[in-house]
Amino acid sequence: MKKILQLTLGIVTSVGGFLEIGSVTTAAQAGARFGYQLLWVILLGTVCLIFLIEMAGRLAAVSKHTIVDAMRERFGFPFFFFVLIGMVIVAFLVLVAELGGIAFALQILTGIRFPWWALPVSLLVWLLMWKGTFSLIENGASLLGLVTISFVVAAFKLGPDWSSVGASLVPTLPDSDKANYGFIAVSILGASISPYLMYFYSSGAIEDKWDRSYIPMNRIIAGSGMTFGGFLSMAVLVAAALALRPKGLQVDTFPQAALLMTTALPRWGFYLFALSMLFACFGAALEISLAIAYFFAQGFGWNWSEDLQPSQDARFAFVYTIIILLAAVPLMLRVDPIKVTMVSMALTSATLPLAIVPFLFLMNDPLYLGKHRNGWISNTVVAIVILLSFVLAVISIPLQIIGG
Amino acid sequence: MHLIRDVLDKQLVDRQDCNMGRASGLIVHLGESTQPRLTHVVIGGPALWMRIHPSLGKLSTKLARLWGPKRKEPVKIPWSRVKTVGKDLKLDVDAKESGALDWELWIARHIIERIPGGGSEEEE
Repeated sequence: MKKILQLTLGIVTSVGGFLEIGSVTTAAQAGARFGYQLLWVILLGTVCLIFLIEMAGRLAAVSKHTIVDAMRERFGFPFFFFVLIGMVIVAFLVLVAELGGIAFALQILTGIRFPWWALPVSLLVWLLMWKGTFSLIENGASLLGLVTISFVVAAFKLGPDWSSVGASLVPTLPDSDKANYGFIAVSILGASISPYLMYFYSSGAIEDKWDRSYIPMNRIIAGSGMTFGGFLSMAVLVAAALALRPKGLQVDTFPQAALLMTTALPRWGFYLFALSMLFACFGAALEISLAIAYFFAQGFGWNWSEDLQPSQDARFAFVYTIIILLAAVPLMLRVDPIKVTMVSMALTSATLPLAIVPFLFLMNDPLYLGKHRNGWISNTVVAIVILLSFVLAVISIPLQIIGG
Repeated sequence: MHLIRDVLDKQLVDRQDCNMGRASGLIVHLGESTQPRLTHVVIGGPALWMRIHPSLGKLSTKLARLWGPKRKEPVKIPWSRVKTVGKDLKLDVDAKESGALDWELWIARHIIERIPGGGSEEEE
């Protein structure tokens, strides 16, 4: 029974981590600009993420190490510190974007501008971590995040041409605007394959005391949870392609993004969009803040657990307190959350090799995994997607900057 | 036992399974006529940062003088206190008495416990 309940771990990481401001914004921009044409990138990102999340859970269940534990032990402090700097900078930018998503959702619900919401929102995220337990965060976020299923309802109500949708799962290049196409593809991959999800998931498996008997359940969790997340992301893209593209709208602001829901559901769409963003970004903000604190605590060998009182793991609590409060500052200074989102997703893609390559080495190390180490299929799939995303990032980010 | 693979950077835990940092450095005694002998495991501080660059080690010493718990010597655990070498290094010491938790306790007392709901590090 307990193992069945732990399916929620997969669902929260998909709802809170997969469908968040990054995936909604990138999928909406893709649909508005290129129709269904970029659907294949979401499929690719989802498949890669299923493999990575399964690996993260398997490492924890077999070796009782989180990814960060194993990385520090296997590669030593200097390399670990280099990865820490890179991952924390990117995760911090994503956290700013998520807090911005919550603040923007509150702006469209209340009319009060988003910079005013930045501090109250970050304090609320902090308060939940300060007072809450891991299972409260895990189960609460997954239940509230179910409102994002409304994107699927919107996509179906707009009546997509299913044969075109199916055909878009095969990669094609556009006739023009290839740089923008590449940049959006990179951002979608960055939004899908978020390393913080792996750190959160492997830490969650240790918090929930997984052992080898969880290996089959881990496969189901990774497969079903991430498929669910990918499916939601595709629904956003399809809805944007049908609602925004015919009107020639780009997703530069949140009210524009809300149109993808209000076109299909005129009466409730606006509120459903705002609530979906609110809950999905809230879940993601909790996960990212925890993932950053886990990264420090596990890497330096401190006490850590979301279930301990803050004074019992003071350094862990101190890290998330500082990170969450700092993340409110750019928003209070009116930095545009959509711009932060696009930059942070592209940067995530560009830094994927830093997070994934050492992880692949760990997953092939018999010292940690024995007979449960990776097979050639998972190694090949992940290596190809990471290489593709890195090459796309290196080519398209400079082109996007040059092209403005 | 392979010192770099099995000991360096390993998680250290005390008698009560309390995390007390990672093995940041090892002290080896080199005798003229005897074999090299591992004498201590070092936790945190300059030993850790010097592994990236010596200047970072010096900087960490200077910063520690300005802020945080006042401790003159780095935390060194005699190798004779190492009970087992496995997933973690289990040590026959009390984490709080060893000095390995000085920063944890300092942050708890000066910051975390002053925020409502932070609890007290002395509660078990």
